[in-house]
Amino acid sequence: MATVLTTGRARKAINYIRSYWTLYVMLALPIAFFVIFRYIPMSYILIAFKKYSLFQSIWEMPWADNYGFEYFIRAFQNRDFINAVRNTLMLNALDLLVGFPAPIIFALLLNELVYPRYKRFVQTVTYMPYFLSWIIIAGMAMQVFAPNTGVVNVFLRRMGYQPIPFLNDPTWWVVTYVLLGVWKHLGWNTIIYLAALTGINPELYEAAEIDGANRWQKIRYVTLPGIRPTIITLLILNLGQILSSDFDRPYALMNPLVYDVSNVIATYVYTYGIRGLQFSLTTAVGLFQSVVCVIFLFAANALAKKYGERGVW
Amino acid sequence: MRRGWLGLLLALLVAAVLVFGSVATSLAAIPDDPDFDPVTRRFGRTRSITVEVYDRGNPGGSPPEDNAFTDFIKEGMLRDHNVRVTFVPIPRWTEVEVINARLAAGDAPDVAVTYSYPTIQTYANMGGVIDLAPYLEKYKDVLPNLWELLGDTNIYWNRDPNTGRVWAIEALLFQNKRINTFVREDWLKKLGLPEPRTLEEFENMLRAFRDNAELLLGPEMAHEMIPFSISQDVGWRADHLLMSFVPESLTDKEMFIYGFDDRHFLFPGYKEGVRKLNQWYHEGLIWPDFALYPPGDQTEDNNMKKGVVGAFIHNWDYPYRNGEDSIHVGLQRLVGPEAAFIAVEPFPNDAGIYRKFLSAPIDRKVFFPITNREPLASLLYLDWISKLENRRHLQIGWEGINHQVLPDGAVQLLQATGRYIMNSPQNIDYTLTINGLDLGDPEITAKSIALNYPGVDARYIERAYRITDNEARYGKNFQVGEIKAEEGMQTVLTQKRDNLLARAIVAPPDQFDRVWDEGFADYLRSGGQAIINERLQKYEAIYGE
Repeated sequence: MATVLTTGRARKAINYIRSYWTLYVMLALPIAFFVIFRYIPMSYILIAFKKYSLFQSIWEMPWADNYGFEYFIRAFQNRDFINAVRNTLMLNALDLLVGFPAPIIFALLLNELVYPRYKRFVQTVTYMPYFLSWIIIAGMAMQVFAPNTGVVNVFLRRMGYQPIPFLNDPTWWVVTYVLLGVWKHLGWNTIIYLAALTGINPELYEAAEIDGANRWQKIRYVTLPGIRPTIITLLILNLGQILSSDFDRPYALMNPLVYDVSNVIATYVYTYGIRGLQFSLTTAVGLFQSVVCVIFLFAANALAKKYGERGVW
Repeated sequence: MRRGWLGLLLALLVAAVLVFGSVATSLAAIPDDPDFDPVTRRFGRTRSITVEVYDRGNPGGSPPEDNAFTDFIKEGMLRDHNVRVTFVPIPRWTEVEVINARLAAGDAPDVAVTYSYPTIQTYANMGGVIDLAPYLEKYKDVLPNLWELLGDTNIYWNRDPNTGRVWAIEALLFQNKRINTFVREDWLKKLGLPEPRTLEEFENMLRAFRDNAELLLGPEMAHEMIPFSISQDVGWRADHLLMSFVPESLTDKEMFIYGFDDRHFLFPGYKEGVRKLNQWYHEGLIWPDFALYPPGDQTEDNNMKKGVVGAFIHNWDYPYRNGEDSIHVGLQRLVGPEAAFIAVEPFPNDAGIYRKFLSAPIDRKVFFPITNREPLASLLYLDWISKLENRRHLQIGWEGINHQVLPDGAVQLLQATGRYIMNSPQNIDYTLTINGLDLGDPEITAKSIALNYPGVDARYIERAYRITDNEARYGKNFQVGEIKAEEGMQTVLTQKRDNLLARAIVAPPDQFDRVWDEGFADYLRSGGQAIINERLQKYEAIYGE
């Protein structure tokens, strides 16, 4: 019996491959791409455990001290690194806290708009900033928020108020940083929610109306549950980014006065690694960062599944 | 059978001799290049080298890798040495990053240059730099111009006392001019103030600028008044002030062990100087936005041109350089012909001396990355640009286009256009071995320097030129070998220094001590103390106590 079954299964497999082999051949190219450009370069993770030299291959470099963990130890003894981890977590958490609900609220607002033309206009205006680079935004921020010459502060001074140190006081800088992020990403992130909103069955709204639900109740009991899977998926993906950091955003906006809150892992890696030539140290930092991000991603996904959501995979 | 063994033994012996022999020769000396004729100093077969050139991104400049001056060098090198030269532009303000990336990619220029010796040392420790010592020894006779210009002093400046290795040659700082303090001459006159000669007079002058903003700038622009302008690079932009707080009793040994930072950040007394800046900041005497603008930003220059800046400290000829684009010309155009910055000397130290701390006459450091396959051709390149005739031409260009010769022999620069524009003063980006005008005759050189600023009255230049190294103290060369603790620390510590200076200046006065002491302790803990300790120990090992 058993042999018959396996031969049957084997025949099935052969038949399957016979009819679909062209698809597998087509898949070979993307797989090759990932192996060559994603997985082979990953062997350079070894730099974190070796004494880096610009002029030797990865296999020739000698191992670092302390069983290869010298640079991890050094990173955790470095106050700038601890500071960078703290700032990365803080800025990302604030981004999540403020920047994550903002597009949801905005999408709900847009969804309630009656005139489609006006809706489209607002949408276009709000997603435009997404296409500006942080370098340009930083330049604009300087024009608008500089303590002496920024438009806002010139206006405030004319009105007889004290200028607000948007960019040169650490607390204010964090506020500016987070709000600029919201401004840039709001419209773009809204697109996804609006797409999810169009997927909600209109019959549900009609049923709610028959039951006498008002606008607010419709949002609460129909719209929000309708886009819940989208929200959860995006939240998981965002939590996976909790320790990763933009480079251009803090780097373009930072200045010596706010270094204590603006130094994030990416700028730390830039200063120590690329400018200071301490590549092993910064690869160790990067590896640590990736590992933490993966842990967060898995944890968030597991949590989502536990509470009955679909999760990312 | 026996013959077989013998054959094997013989083969092994031959192999051993070949292997060890070649190792031995490579250690002992550089092999002769039969293609090179030491008499005509020409290669038989055309060689190719690449040479780094700073790209300053000047508005309206010419491409740094392709203009009349690069053509001049290329033609000359091909004619005199049969060497083909290609220029590799490297952005001036991110040079270290770009060179790092190019070294890692095996794509660095054959003749590379940087102002940071620790960076070269780091490359060398990774095996990325050619030891020049054997080449210099072997080819000294075919490099007469290099030796004539730099001498043993600059060529062997960086020789390691233990190994004899030379990773880089020091260019000659021909005019050892660094920094000046500038004030608005017309404002002094308008307010009936004397030219400041003491710190107190300088402060009172700044306060007078602040209090008379309406008179000096008019009611519309009064709020833009900046009595004293600085930038993120506080150490440079307040140098004369800060150095007046350093005690005169500072020894050469202290200058060396605290000399890691080129802004003299570790010198005793520095903190009190910064405290003065803190006080000025809170009195409204300092540009409040100074910390926000990154290096290379034009905002501050534009403030100076607009005429709202009363005083500042910067490069010795800063307001006068760059011809038509100079601050001086811009200021006169926008404000009026009487408006001008003039160099002053207001900061005596505790002994009443107007002390300036200048480096020894060294400048940029030229090194050859390990990927350089033509060290001899590269050395000949350095020799070629060191020849008086050639470097003179690079510094002043073509007669009738870049300059004219006055009856007394002095050379006056003209406004050149197109391919003849010099992207840096006296083309220092091409004259890698010298910084500063040298026409061969000291008297004519001095006269010409004053004339070399088109649109600027010579009396301003003469004064700035005289004051900038008045009562100067020069750094000495202590060859103690590599300071291991400095490796890779330059950018980190520079950033820490600049952050601390900015924060200390804006700190509330009652918190100044706390901010400074914490920041300074962090600087020392992050590598500063290790550098001081190693410098002290190596100094004492060679020079005694």
